[in-house]
Amino acid sequence: MKSSRTTRLAKVVALTSSIALLAAGCSSGASKDAAQPASADNPVTLTVTTFGTQGLDPLYKQYEKDNPGVTIEATNIDTGGNALTDWKTKQAAGAGLPDVQAVEEGWLGQVMTVSDSFTDLNEYGASDISGDWVDWKVKQATDADGRIIGYGTDIGPMGLCYNSKLFKAAGLPSDRDKVAELFGGEDATWDDFFSVGEDYVKKADKAFYDQSGFVWNAMVNQLDEGYYTADGSLNIDSNAELRQRWDQLSDAASKGLSSGQTQWDWGKGQAFVDGSFAVMPCPGWMLGNVKGQVEGAGGNVSDGWDFADVFPGGPANWGGAFLTVPSTSKHPAEAAKLAQYLTNAASQATSFEEAGAFPSNLEAQKSKAVTGENDLTKFFNGAPIGEILGHRAEGVKAQYKGADDSVIQEQVFGPATIAIDKGTDGEAAWNSALSTLQELEIK
Amino acid sequence: MRRRHLRGRLDFKFSPYLYISPFFVLFALVGLFPLIYTFVVSINDWELLGGAGDWVGLDNYKAELASPLFWNSLLNTFSIFLLSAIPQLVVATFIAAMLDQNIRAKTFWRMSVLVPYVVTPVAVTLIFSTAFDEKYGLINNLLGALNLDTIAWKTDVFPSHMAIATMVNWRWTGYNALILLAAMQAVPRELHESAAIDGAGAIRRFFSITLPSIRPTMIFVIITATIGGLQIFTEPKLFNPSSSVPGGPDRQYQTTVLYLWDLAFNRGDFGRASAVAWMLFLIIIVIGVINFLISGTIASSSDKQKSRRFATRKGKK
Repeated sequence: MKSSRTTRLAKVVALTSSIALLAAGCSSGASKDAAQPASADNPVTLTVTTFGTQGLDPLYKQYEKDNPGVTIEATNIDTGGNALTDWKTKQAAGAGLPDVQAVEEGWLGQVMTVSDSFTDLNEYGASDISGDWVDWKVKQATDADGRIIGYGTDIGPMGLCYNSKLFKAAGLPSDRDKVAELFGGEDATWDDFFSVGEDYVKKADKAFYDQSGFVWNAMVNQLDEGYYTADGSLNIDSNAELRQRWDQLSDAASKGLSSGQTQWDWGKGQAFVDGSFAVMPCPGWMLGNVKGQVEGAGGNVSDGWDFADVFPGGPANWGGAFLTVPSTSKHPAEAAKLAQYLTNAASQATSFEEAGAFPSNLEAQKSKAVTGENDLTKFFNGAPIGEILGHRAEGVKAQYKGADDSVIQEQVFGPATIAIDKGTDGEAAWNSALSTLQELEIK
Repeated sequence: MRRRHLRGRLDFKFSPYLYISPFFVLFALVGLFPLIYTFVVSINDWELLGGAGDWVGLDNYKAELASPLFWNSLLNTFSIFLLSAIPQLVVATFIAAMLDQNIRAKTFWRMSVLVPYVVTPVAVTLIFSTAFDEKYGLINNLLGALNLDTIAWKTDVFPSHMAIATMVNWRWTGYNALILLAAMQAVPRELHESAAIDGAGAIRRFFSITLPSIRPTMIFVIITATIGGLQIFTEPKLFNPSSSVPGGPDRQYQTTVLYLWDLAFNRGDFGRASAVAWMLFLIIIVIGVINFLISGTIASSSDKQKSRRFATRKGKK
């Protein structure tokens, strides 16, 4: 009796659950003909996932107009960090990835560990047009087997943002060419940078730069070999250059050069207008952030921010993105065509006008839209931003980024730079960074 | 005739199972399956991007139990949990007792305590994290104006736990108060009246009648507060949203759920993260059972008191 009751119960459960499963079962209609190019008779929907402000929205509309049958469904995720989580989750699940996925330079190391899950764009003519971009951008997107997995969008060549009013008040030159000279011009070194800083701190009795984290990013990014050697092994403990730069930075922080601000927060922009600090290493995309922070705190042009054509330690790049085509895409040819369109010279010039994303496309870098005047140049006291960034992009080298590069940058050296800003001595902070490295079991 | 009778009986017997099955089917799909799947992941060397690796048995659990970061996260979770749960429940019970009194504009007061709960946690956290900002925050500005030392709310361990517990308390106290109030309303007024006639004051009545009578609700509130407290995520995640390490640069307030999120999505170690998830699950069960036992003994001892009192009263008569 008892057993029959349980079997009947089991039947009921089985029945109901199969109903539920039937209801949930998806009706995956196969695409009409993936190989055929899109046309009005063969409509194709392409999904695109981007993040931050990449200024692509007007381009989608234009592309739809020029290519009948193509519908673009674009998703923009607020920050690169959230986009990374989104991409990783979908990549891990093996489903849900868009036809065109934007990838940040900072996570390229992780992307490259699964580079075979992206379409090799060489199959769609990437090798013929790879000369359109700065060479190191293409090199970054090329994996060990020579597959090109992404078209470059923007890049982040670095110059120096400085506050001309504060410089003037401290008796330093405030004109942007003189400031570039003050920092050493073409041969600017970090020693020059920090000695100007000490001078400024003495004269103005205020901190020089906002916090050590961004300075450290720049210092590491411009080395030939950063946290990893070019052949992919961890390179921190025995990296003499890295250690030497760390000592330089912690020495500067101990002398009061750092204002110890919270990264990406700056007291909701207050620190940009209350004179807390006078310089900041600025990749192209940071300029829009500076403007936003100043305006968010109620400031404007008269607060005196300017942009100088100089960078300590030589050319450096921070950030930038790529448009990739995950191999799960059902329309790789159409997706590659769209990615190519979104990154061609005219499109990149439009993105720059829209969002200040500095082009990696050589022709776009020279276009009027980039070198001319816009809201940003007005905000930065008329600085020829496009020209300066084009100049700053010369000579950048593509540093090898390992799989855990971003984890090391953020979780190992992030806390360490905060520690030296708060007064921990450089040696102790370095050692605690090494022990964090061990706790995180990074190899 | 007989056939219809049989169908009626079958209907009577099995329909209820059919009616409740949607929940259980859903539970099996989105509750039980993930739980089991998480366990399977946790006994494999599973990379988020690389996918399933080798079978490693309980190695992930052993590695986590040996990891100082795991213990740090547990310590933080318990510290924040105790700092929030205890004051929260005490204050909620007090507020509920006050609202249970005969006051004017009852609905207004009762609804106002629920307002914080309606505000989304993200908004709450943004407001509080601005107030607790170290350089520009409201609270440190006030302290500075009073010539007191400012507090490193986001850097020092204990102040950061206090700040996060404040957010949790602000949000949940009113919610718990309303639930307790509902239970108090159900306590028969006659009990209070007869106690009052017997000469028991308000405080005596609260401890001897109100508290024992709302025992089941109290247990419910304590258990839900425990589960919520041990799973805390949003508040510490958004307390310093610009920190690249979730839970503070030095993991000062990295709770266990934040830690497992960090493990899974920043460090890409799915196996270890799943092991942490399972250990947290077991911890919550253990704490839940302990809570249940403790609250059970407290309430039943007062039950005994009550029945003894009734007995003596009867005896007197």
